[in-house]
Amino acid sequence: MSKFIINSTFIFLLTISTYANANPIHNLERERAKTLDIVLDKSISIEERKKQLDKSKMRLLDLERITINNKNISENPSVHTIKAFENFDLTFLVHTSIEKNKPLSITWFEKIGLTTENILNTRVSRR
Amino acid sequence: MQKITLKTLLIIIPGSLYILLSAANAYSNDWKPQIVEKMYVLPPQHLNKVLNSDFNKSLLALNLQNKDNVIKNKIDKITELNSYLPNASKEEILEIKHQIILNKRDYIKEMNDLLLMKRQKLNTKKDFFEKIQKNIKYNSVNNNPESKFFINKNNAIKRAQKLDFKILEKTAFNLSENSRYFNQYKINKDAISKLEAAIKNHPMNSKSNLSKEPENKLEAIRNYIHNIETEIAVLEMKEQMISYMAKIVALDAMDLAEKVAGINSDTNNNQFSGKNYNDPTEALDVFTQL
Repeated sequence: MSKFIINSTFIFLLTISTYANANPIHNLERERAKTLDIVLDKSISIEERKKQLDKSKMRLLDLERITINNKNISENPSVHTIKAFENFDLTFLVHTSIEKNKPLSITWFEKIGLTTENILNTRVSRR
Repeated sequence: MQKITLKTLLIIIPGSLYILLSAANAYSNDWKPQIVEKMYVLPPQHLNKVLNSDFNKSLLALNLQNKDNVIKNKIDKITELNSYLPNASKEEILEIKHQIILNKRDYIKEMNDLLLMKRQKLNTKKDFFEKIQKNIKYNSVNNNPESKFFINKNNAIKRAQKLDFKILEKTAFNLSENSRYFNQYKINKDAISKLEAAIKNHPMNSKSNLSKEPENKLEAIRNYIHNIETEIAVLEMKEQMISYMAKIVALDAMDLAEKVAGINSDTNNNQFSGKNYNDPTEALDVFTQL
């Protein structure tokens, strides 16, 4: 009997708590993380990386456009959303890379401060 | 014992939920505007028109119309009964007056119901406009042009729009790889800009300029709320009038009751006219006559 009550309570709570959580920022962040994962993946060949990145870039571009043009996003924006729009270059990587005429990976590395010059400077300081 | 309690609870909870739902359905005679989302984007003057047409389709409007007809019939009846009074006999007058009082009582009851319905209509309208007002205030806070987020979002839109053509050029060589959204995006963007241009050039668009700005829209809605409040105040005065009318009918009824009692006492007096046998001096003859 108690098992039945627990099950029915669980189903009831599940029913009342189900709602569509479709924040475009979350989807964008998920896809961005996947793309960066491909960029940093050492186990795949250059050819394979290029192929996977092309596919991922297209999905990311769609999600970036969906996020930018979403009107509901302005209604009570979360801290996440506010931060995302504050850092356009990092959030909308495909747009930034096209704007700067640079590959997506280079754009990201530069934005987080991983330039060739910076890395060489680190080696100098270690010596 | 515990099992029984749990079973009972399982029966009672859905039962009470059902009762709550039924109670909600019981109020389905009310008017609940069905077009909130659509109406929000309309200019206030159109908003009011659409709200009125929504009301006209409601059950409350139908009930109001029926009540109006009932009240009209009552007034016609009272007028008709009043017209019989000059040519009526004393007893007929009493009966006619009785009928008039009954009709007046019904009229007051129906009128009270009508005023309640009108009040309900005005309150719903007021609630609706207040909700819209709240939405505008809420959105104007979130879309405050001075807020950092709003500035960042606008900049993002502008930057993305500038890049649209460049993106199309860059991806032109691998069209087969493009997603469905990507292909639809350009088509829809072109269509949207054409529609925006059409809206901009529409003659009615310039007329409704006043209501476009959130502040102007708020002002217009505030005016509607003010008008509704004045209508409610007028209704309150009418309700006071109805209470006075009820008092007059009660006084008329008392007057009629006294008149009827007077006639009865007269007829009683007529039965014993001349001599009052309850007094021994008057009954002397009965006893002294041989």
